[in-house]
Amino acid sequence: MIRHLFKLIWNKKRAHSLLMVEIWASFMVLFGVLSLIVYNVRNYMEPIGFDYEDRWVLNLSNNQDTVAVGDKVASIIQRLNQYSEVEEVTRTGSNTPFSMNTMNNSVSYKDVSTLTNFYPVDENYATTMNLPVAAGRWFNKADAVAKHEPIVINNATREKLFGTENPIGKLVKRDDKSFWRVVGVVDNYKAKGEFMSDEPGLFTFIKDKNAWEKEFILKVKPGTDANFEAKLVRDIAGMVKDWNVEVTYMTDSRKNQHSLTLVPVVIFLVICSFLLVNVALGLFGILNLNIAKRKDEIGLRRAMGATEKAVTRQFLGEIWVLATISMLLGLLFAVQFPLLHVFDIAGGIYVVAMALAMGVVYLIVTLCAWYPSQQASRIHPAVALHAE
Amino acid sequence: MIKLQNIEKVYRTSSIETLALNNVNIHIRKGEFVSIMGPSGCGKSTLLNIMGLLDEPSKGTVEIAGSTVDKYQDKALARLRNEKLGFIFQSFHLISDLSVLDNVEIPLLYRKGSARERRELAQEALEKVGLSNRMKHFPKELSGGQKQRVAIARAIVGKPEIILADEPTGNLDSAMGNEILSILQNLNKEGATIVMVTHDEAMAKRTHRLIRLFDGTQVTDSVLSTNLATGV
Repeated sequence: MIRHLFKLIWNKKRAHSLLMVEIWASFMVLFGVLSLIVYNVRNYMEPIGFDYEDRWVLNLSNNQDTVAVGDKVASIIQRLNQYSEVEEVTRTGSNTPFSMNTMNNSVSYKDVSTLTNFYPVDENYATTMNLPVAAGRWFNKADAVAKHEPIVINNATREKLFGTENPIGKLVKRDDKSFWRVVGVVDNYKAKGEFMSDEPGLFTFIKDKNAWEKEFILKVKPGTDANFEAKLVRDIAGMVKDWNVEVTYMTDSRKNQHSLTLVPVVIFLVICSFLLVNVALGLFGILNLNIAKRKDEIGLRRAMGATEKAVTRQFLGEIWVLATISMLLGLLFAVQFPLLHVFDIAGGIYVVAMALAMGVVYLIVTLCAWYPSQQASRIHPAVALHAE
Repeated sequence: MIKLQNIEKVYRTSSIETLALNNVNIHIRKGEFVSIMGPSGCGKSTLLNIMGLLDEPSKGTVEIAGSTVDKYQDKALARLRNEKLGFIFQSFHLISDLSVLDNVEIPLLYRKGSARERRELAQEALEKVGLSNRMKHFPKELSGGQKQRVAIARAIVGKPEIILADEPTGNLDSAMGNEILSILQNLNKEGATIVMVTHDEAMAKRTHRLIRLFDGTQVTDSVLSTNLATGV
């Protein structure tokens, strides 16, 4: 029967060409949207690697003040540690978690090099952010005088640069002149939020007198409110005149980052849904028309021994064959994405998206064909044969 | 082979009731070639549809090839139609998107068998009606007579015991009509029981028996020849 259906569809390929283009286009759009969704869902399933609840980011900007900035920062840290509402304080670079700032460059080990995000942090960062160290250790004060500046890498960097080799104690080439020594490894660190892929990253150590890094993350007690925020800003602003002092909640920044990811996905999804609804309505109309045109064929098949179920199966089978041919054409295009590593996304994501897109197309065509096929099967054979 | 007892067929709409067949009793024996005649609208096609299990009588019993049809269940009817009956229609009812060979194979799609077996049986049937040279052609490339021969091949491909022909020569000129009737006569000689609805008196006279209907009632049933086929 399948062969018979293929023959029937193939011999009517001209009449079906528009329908096939429509199904092909739907498959391609679905493949694109589903690739995006699968990519984001897969990222979301991966742990972010740190805590962000009750973490505030204190951002200082010294503006025109260049006098003893390092000392002023040190006294601010001292002051922050005195608040009873603050449980932990850590100093970081401007690319705090969920911020819009990015710092990256290539690093290499032996002949392997990779683009890596840099996160300047101090010795308190791991405890403040509840970032577990998987191997080696986190920074300590003594690292300030080490011959090679210490770094802590994340698992993604370890996999890229070292493979199965133990990275602890190894020197990573920073540039032509200097090296970093790996002292520790953390698992995941997805600074841009759950939807970010676990990209290679490394933490560099901020020394005490550093005057550049003026962001702080405060781990505050649960329930600490805006009253303390106002007091904090007032106090710090009083310590460093003409500096800008700003506090942001990490949970708010996380929401902003999520919106940046989700808004385009939702827009594509809405466009795709409209397209699919149009395709579905078109298919439904065409199938209804087809059945009206083919009444005598239905009557003939019933006379030749087809049961009601066989007629339903035939019409469903025809649309499945059409969908299969259209999607085979679509797969020729879609399969290029994993083969050519387009957007540097794991091939598995494209494969899952292809399978899901096929599933959705089969589901849509089945839903569209179901009612007309049922109608076809209920046509009385004697009536159908005399429809002309 | 076909036994109709007290058959009545009423078509009902919300406002009108039409009696299409009224107390029809027909017994057609194995190997008979029976023609049914009557004016348009007298119930010939309705009668043929009931014999072909394409329509259900409002009253009465139908027996086909020894099986009494009482509970008109779809699967059982489809099986009987597929195995015991072959249909030929005035307007051929060939599927234009399928080749001659594929059209002839259609009844075999609804029974068990390999693609190869189907192909062989279809080729055999086409050879029987003299169309072995047109197997790859499409219906639009054939003349009316050739189309009807394809329809005959399709009707006999499953080796049914009964062939029901609804005005098989109605769309053909007399030469083509004669040719088609000769094929049907040959099939009858080989053992097939044939029931043919016709408007053509000359064609009807070449069959064994003539049943005349008028306003849904069987008015005559005359034997024209007793020379029946003896079996397949």
